[in-house]
Amino acid sequence: MEGFIIALFVCMVLALISKYLSIPAIPFYILAGIVLGKAGLGVVQSDEISQFFSEIGLLFLLFFMGLELRLDRMLADPSKLLISGLIGLVVDMGIGFTAAYLLGFPLIEAFIIGVAFYITSTAIVLTSLIENRKLMMKEAELIIWLEVFEDIVLIVIIALLSSADKDLLYFFLKIVLALGVMYLIAHHGREFLVSILDRDDETPILFTFAAVLTTAALAILFGIPDTLMVIALGAALATTDPDAFEQHARPFKDVFLVMFFVFFGVTIDFASGVDLYAIAILCILAVFSKLISGMLIGLTIYGSALSGLEIWANTISRGEFSIAIAVLYGSAVVGTVIAALVIVTTLVGSFMARYSTSMRRGIVSHNRRKALVRRPHNSGR
Amino acid sequence: MSDMALRSKNLPGIGTKYEFKTDKGDTVAIFFTTTGVIQMYTLQKGCKTPSAAEMTPGEARRLGNILTGAIIEADQESVEIAFSALADLRVTIHTFYIPEAIIGKTIEDLQIRAKTGATVVAVSRHDHNIINPAPSFVFEVGDAVLVIGESDQINKFESEIMVE
Repeated sequence: MEGFIIALFVCMVLALISKYLSIPAIPFYILAGIVLGKAGLGVVQSDEISQFFSEIGLLFLLFFMGLELRLDRMLADPSKLLISGLIGLVVDMGIGFTAAYLLGFPLIEAFIIGVAFYITSTAIVLTSLIENRKLMMKEAELIIWLEVFEDIVLIVIIALLSSADKDLLYFFLKIVLALGVMYLIAHHGREFLVSILDRDDETPILFTFAAVLTTAALAILFGIPDTLMVIALGAALATTDPDAFEQHARPFKDVFLVMFFVFFGVTIDFASGVDLYAIAILCILAVFSKLISGMLIGLTIYGSALSGLEIWANTISRGEFSIAIAVLYGSAVVGTVIAALVIVTTLVGSFMARYSTSMRRGIVSHNRRKALVRRPHNSGR
Repeated sequence: MSDMALRSKNLPGIGTKYEFKTDKGDTVAIFFTTTGVIQMYTLQKGCKTPSAAEMTPGEARRLGNILTGAIIEADQESVEIAFSALADLRVTIHTFYIPEAIIGKTIEDLQIRAKTGATVVAVSRHDHNIINPAPSFVFEVGDAVLVIGESDQINKFESEIMVE
């Protein structure tokens, strides 16, 4: 318990520092976990309490993702999104998977690493678009919708990974049944739900918390993945009053998700037989795979390499979802790889996102100067 | 007015975007983000990089007041509201920073209602607001008052009370 409180206190200080420097806090939380935990000082141990809190953090992360999945307001031109989404999926997951497999990871672990390569951190990407005042650039909207695309891919991946070694027909039948029940409740209980959310006492927040935990518990009872069901709950409740649910779920998400990151760091163990050389290669590739996919998207959609560069600069950071996949399905070794991946990409990503505008300007003026040097007579003087 | 197309869009995880092009070809975009801040981008015609300003909701409202032309002086704001259903009733709401001369006096001492017809409906003091101050309310240094009345009454208030 003392360890838990130490971790909480350290996180508070780190949150302040990261806000002050306006760098994403996720890498700091993981590093704090690594320093305090198994791989470092060993002051903080993962126990039942911390595991419970981490689990709630993960559930609320996924619940939030579900709340944001409002498919009724999809992009006006979905074909652009589909093309760029598929480019990202094939290129990033392909590079991650192939590299991990060639470095000697077993097939399933290489696949997990591929997923972690592909899925960017929605929280970091969106916050950095706002903080770096890039919302008006033409690539911004596509980047925002790509995050939604990745969420949908993630749901499919979770469904696939959790369906392994199960009776497929029975398994998916149960899921469809659960989804049906959830939508019926959200649809017919709409007025009741809204009346609860409108109250200004403790009931809305209590209801939100209970709804998420009850759904998870019921899912486990019926042998279907609680992660999927919590996302579905979010998506179902998003048809009632998503803003109210977000407001009431936010405190839980904020606190427990931090615990989730820290205790992910705490459980990292460098003695679990990881090759530092392999980790370094994968981290570098993670930065470059997004460069390749970003360039391809920029050239296909906007016909411009500069657009590609901008998309790359803003989508380097991997974060919460990569870690979630590592925690849910990865081995200790995969966890270590993904921890390093998240730390490196978030730091590189926040730097690139901040300076991409000046980088673009530098490239443009450099090209112009080169053009002038090459054809001095055409410059009009 | 109608040909200036104002487009609004919901962006998941970001908020609401409003964008319009002016007659001269400049673009203005405003984002109400889920984090609570409001960002305004302006892009001059022919320019590639927009410039941006980030505002709190309070600052955005202030900007809105300036743009609607309701503001009179930089540090004093005034809004005139017309109620068309009530025989075109026009009410002006105006803020004033109180001058040194009336510090220590009460609303009753100053006979504000009797002399001007305007009413002090709120006083802002050290970041908190006193709504409907009593006649015995004593003005202090740094108070800002919100006065309501017809525009003549507000002018009278300004010329008779604020200079005393």
